[in-house]
Amino acid sequence: MVGVFANWRTARLYLLAWLMLGLLLAAMLAAGGAGLAASLLFALPLALVYAYATGYSAYYVCRAYPLGQAPALAIGAGIGLSALCVAALWCAMGVAWSSLLAALSLALAPETPMLAPAAPLLASMFGLGVILYGLSAAVNYLMLESDRVRRLETQELESRLMARDAELRMLRTQVDPHFLFNSLNSISALTALDPPGARAMTLQLAAFFRHSLGLQAGRKVTLDAELALVRNFLAIEQVRFGERLRVELDATPDALPCLLPPMLLQPLAENAVKHGIGRMLEPGTVRIAALRAGSMLRIVVENDVDPAIGDNVGDNAQHDEDGAGGIGLDNVRRRLAADYGHEAGAHWGREDGRFRVAIVLPAQTESEIRCG
Amino acid sequence: MRVIIVDDEHLARAVLREHLAAHADVTIVAECANGFEAVKAIGELAPDLVFLDIQMPKLDGFEVVELAGAGKAHGPQYVFVTAYDRFALRAFEVHAIDYLLKPFARERLDAALAHARARLQVADAPADGLQAVVQAAAARHGPLERVLIRDGARVQVVASSSIDYIEAQDDYVAICAGGKRWLKSQRLAELETLLDPQAFLRVHRSYIVNVGAIERIEPAGKDSHCALLRDGTRVPVSRSGYARLRDLIG
Repeated sequence: MVGVFANWRTARLYLLAWLMLGLLLAAMLAAGGAGLAASLLFALPLALVYAYATGYSAYYVCRAYPLGQAPALAIGAGIGLSALCVAALWCAMGVAWSSLLAALSLALAPETPMLAPAAPLLASMFGLGVILYGLSAAVNYLMLESDRVRRLETQELESRLMARDAELRMLRTQVDPHFLFNSLNSISALTALDPPGARAMTLQLAAFFRHSLGLQAGRKVTLDAELALVRNFLAIEQVRFGERLRVELDATPDALPCLLPPMLLQPLAENAVKHGIGRMLEPGTVRIAALRAGSMLRIVVENDVDPAIGDNVGDNAQHDEDGAGGIGLDNVRRRLAADYGHEAGAHWGREDGRFRVAIVLPAQTESEIRCG
Repeated sequence: MRVIIVDDEHLARAVLREHLAAHADVTIVAECANGFEAVKAIGELAPDLVFLDIQMPKLDGFEVVELAGAGKAHGPQYVFVTAYDRFALRAFEVHAIDYLLKPFARERLDAALAHARARLQVADAPADGLQAVVQAAAARHGPLERVLIRDGARVQVVASSSIDYIEAQDDYVAICAGGKRWLKSQRLAELETLLDPQAFLRVHRSYIVNVGAIERIEPAGKDSHCALLRDGTRVPVSRSGYARLRDLIG
């Protein structure tokens, strides 16, 4: 089934509309002096037959002359021509039907007056047929158009989902190459200086990659798990930076089971080390704090900044992506917006010699989601 | 051979130290944990060879070379050390500059050492390629946000926005910011290409002015003007400079 007959609801509506048209036609005929019963008997079946005929034929004609692609003239000519043909056929059917009715009434009930199609009636029937065909074509165009819009919407939704998947894949496989190669270089140094230290670092590196490669898009992780990843990452960086990197992690117990998108905090910790501590001569601290305040989860990631770097310069430097795999703060904001809409947000700025990123998102734990 | 190791990570320095210990003719005269120390050490100790990390706080490896004097006839040989830097690798390949990729094998380091030794014997060919790489590195981040000036053994970092004007003086430029004045060995035309063209304007053959520092423009004589700056200095503005200024400010 195609066009208006593609599903029952539209088909019923469409036929109902035609039934009304049939009744209207019958009423006009009756008003013109024909008997009511004869008018109904003549007009209703014809209207319904025409409904089917135009429904199908207009659908194919509309498909053959798609709006916006075929030239307007061709559309007009195509529709007009088929309208004329179909309306002429309808009139022929009208004549045939009325003579059949006349023959039947003669045989069954000779006293009932039957309608004899005169020339003016046929002419107005023809005109009406053409107009109704045009209307039917318009309905079909509308349906095709709304179909197209709906298809586009589904496509866009699918591509958005795929983009999110790809983004996470990118996030977890494109861990900063600097991080990987510098860590390997540290291990290379430790193998001679401190073999147990080298082994510990390979284990930490393995744990970090096992964790980050095992993440799935769309499946949220607990803050506890994300912090474990961050702790892992920072421990590796502490081997590289030595005394220069200090770490403070502080999360309240009720915040730990809350869920958040995977790999949300790790890029922030990476930024803090790379653009904050990595640019300082003196030792600096990366501080991560999380707490649950009622229905909201607040997370702050902050790091010391080199005081000599100008305010605006510092902000931009930590903010921008340097093309070498740096994950921008805008990215964090977009991911929050995609998952929570206006309920979540991220703000960043520099104050008191520190660069500070504050994230707020709805606090949800696994059990809360299951219950509510 | 006198060698300096420059890297901000102590373990990275340790690897180099360990590998270099196998070479009897190599003496490590200094180890530096940042660019400032490196510029100072290179100036004072005049090493034959410098192993130079690229990613470091404050000054990166290229800036160290720029400040220590790239392409000087008797300057040291440089071997760059990096973990991952697509820009640098491309530049090194193009200009045949020696580099080590972290982590590196002992053989790779030995080859770099042998190469440096051979070039030291050929004697004192100025390293054109090195200078080209340093210039490309300076240009890659877009307009300069800070100007680095070597002041004896010290390095002065001047934020571009704080500069009032720059004056050409023979082979030097005098950079004036907040009433202070620094000399830098660079040509004015070269500096002009590196600065943000929306903020800095060449108003005269020998002057670049920070447009934001201009208080007002005054006529000075028949065809010429001069710009009065926020620190009270008057800078001459040539006729073409005046036209450019009018275009920029609108």
